Amino acid sequence: MKHLVRSQGIGAVIGVAVMLAVFTLLDFSGWWTVQTVSNVTQFASILAFVTMGEALVIMTKEIDLSVGSVYGLAGVSFITLEPPLGVSGSLLVALLIAALAGLVQGVAVVKGQLPSMIVTLGGLFTARGIIYVWTGGSVHNFSPDARAHPLTRLLGGELFGIEAATFWLIAIAALLGLLLWATPFGNRLLATGGGRESAESRGVRTERVKIVTFVLCSLLAGFAGILTLCNQPQTHVTLGENMELEAISAAVIGGCLLTGGRGSILGAILGALIVVSFRYELIALGAPSSWYITFVGVVLVAAVIFNQSLARRLGHSV
Amino acid sequence: MTNDHPLIQVKNLDLYFGAFHALRNVSVDFHAGELVGLVGDNGAGKTTLIRVLCGIHAPTSGEVFFDGRKVEKFHPKLAIDQGIETIQQSVGLCDNLSIARNFYLGREPVKRILGIPFLDFALMREKSARVIRQFGLRDNVSTDDEVERLSGGERQSVKIGRAVEFKNRVVIMDEPTNHLSVREREHVNELAVQLKEQGLLVIYITHDIFQVHKLADRIVIMENGAKVADASTDAMTAEELEEVIRQGGRVVEKRETA
Repeated sequence: MKHLVRSQGIGAVIGVAVMLAVFTLLDFSGWWTVQTVSNVTQFASILAFVTMGEALVIMTKEIDLSVGSVYGLAGVSFITLEPPLGVSGSLLVALLIAALAGLVQGVAVVKGQLPSMIVTLGGLFTARGIIYVWTGGSVHNFSPDARAHPLTRLLGGELFGIEAATFWLIAIAALLGLLLWATPFGNRLLATGGGRESAESRGVRTERVKIVTFVLCSLLAGFAGILTLCNQPQTHVTLGENMELEAISAAVIGGCLLTGGRGSILGAILGALIVVSFRYELIALGAPSSWYITFVGVVLVAAVIFNQSLARRLGHSV
Repeated sequence: MTNDHPLIQVKNLDLYFGAFHALRNVSVDFHAGELVGLVGDNGAGKTTLIRVLCGIHAPTSGEVFFDGRKVEKFHPKLAIDQGIETIQQSVGLCDNLSIARNFYLGREPVKRILGIPFLDFALMREKSARVIRQFGLRDNVSTDDEVERLSGGERQSVKIGRAVEFKNRVVIMDEPTNHLSVREREHVNELAVQLKEQGLLVIYITHDIFQVHKLADRIVIMENGAKVADASTDAMTAEELEEVIRQGGRVVEKRETA
């Protein structure tokens, strides 16, 4: 509990509780259906992967705007490279491409001493451009063989009516939570964001920490893209568009402070759940889908106000 | 009290930042078990010299010897590994981390489970508490509390406790009593003497010649990037040394210690 308050995750816990209460009161029969719950869980799981990576980057006091494009690029690579490489081969190469995107951007930010917002904005456009050129705007599909491949089933199938992505999320979130909270790397990551100069004076190689975090973030975004396509193996050029904004919003709603050094994996997941739930419920309530973005904006600002005041109350410098 | 062979030897050190000549042909020896006051006005080059010693800046020319060996590469991590600890007023603690996490930052003790290094929380808490309490941390502060809740003096206690725990050989204190209350200042000064008595080399940087004269074995005065005086506190009074600073090192002849 103390840990949750300190890492600013408490706002997201309250947010989810309030949101579920409101949706239940407003639209009990529409919200608590198997279909809605299963869709929300599936898409929240996917967004949560991207958000967890984004949250880690924000905790190092950087930002990654390229996650949506990296998500799309990894997905497109996975599908397009499947015919020559097979499912496992293309999975590996797609993840490598994602990792490479993170590495290049991380190195540029750290070694070039450039603002990550600009470097990753460049990454956003570059990766998206590659998707356009590579696919030529056409839609690619998995062959029936590839769809039936055990790996595709493992990543995109379902168990007891719950999508595979959710199981993967639970497993990987647990690992990331441990990494962040209980290992020397996590301690140094939080130190890098919370006080870079102090961390360096203790011998922490903050540049290395940041590069690793950028790679991790891109890998998570890439993996999320692959999970999506294993579930519905069809690419389009807009795959992952605007996802970076949803991921940053979700991370902030989940309690990440852009001043660095504070945030939690659980908060990131709950933030993603809030963003996706709003999208679904507004559609379910019959609101035009274009209202969704406005609502995310409102929730985002409300969350920032709450989290900042919580941080000030706890005496954090924000 | 001092050994013959200096622990840190600085020879003809020059450092330029672009066209700015930050250190001018500085040569100085520091011995183990010695408390040296490094004094000078703002911009005199005290902090720059220290930043070379703790690996943040590499000199443009000149040599630094640590324990008789020439320092070839300047990196904070290497300095820390050799046991050189710098205690600075504003740097060294991450506000967002607990005392125990800060205490071990960069050198976290681990317990391996399935080969994966996990933080050894029990050890971190227990040992950091034991060490810092002896340097004056209040009993009602837990090592799980974040350092941003600590007072200025308590922050210094954490840093000094850390220097002792990691068996440092050199502790450089950069303006350690700025913004501290009178009692906290006394406390930190006592700690500096305590460190020296444990056989460490303590380099104490300050503006306040009168304060450090009471503690130090030797005073080194810098002015405009150059060393202008190097005298034992027995050889020169605080008033004499103050005159040196006032005159920018021009009037009083250097009186080197033996």
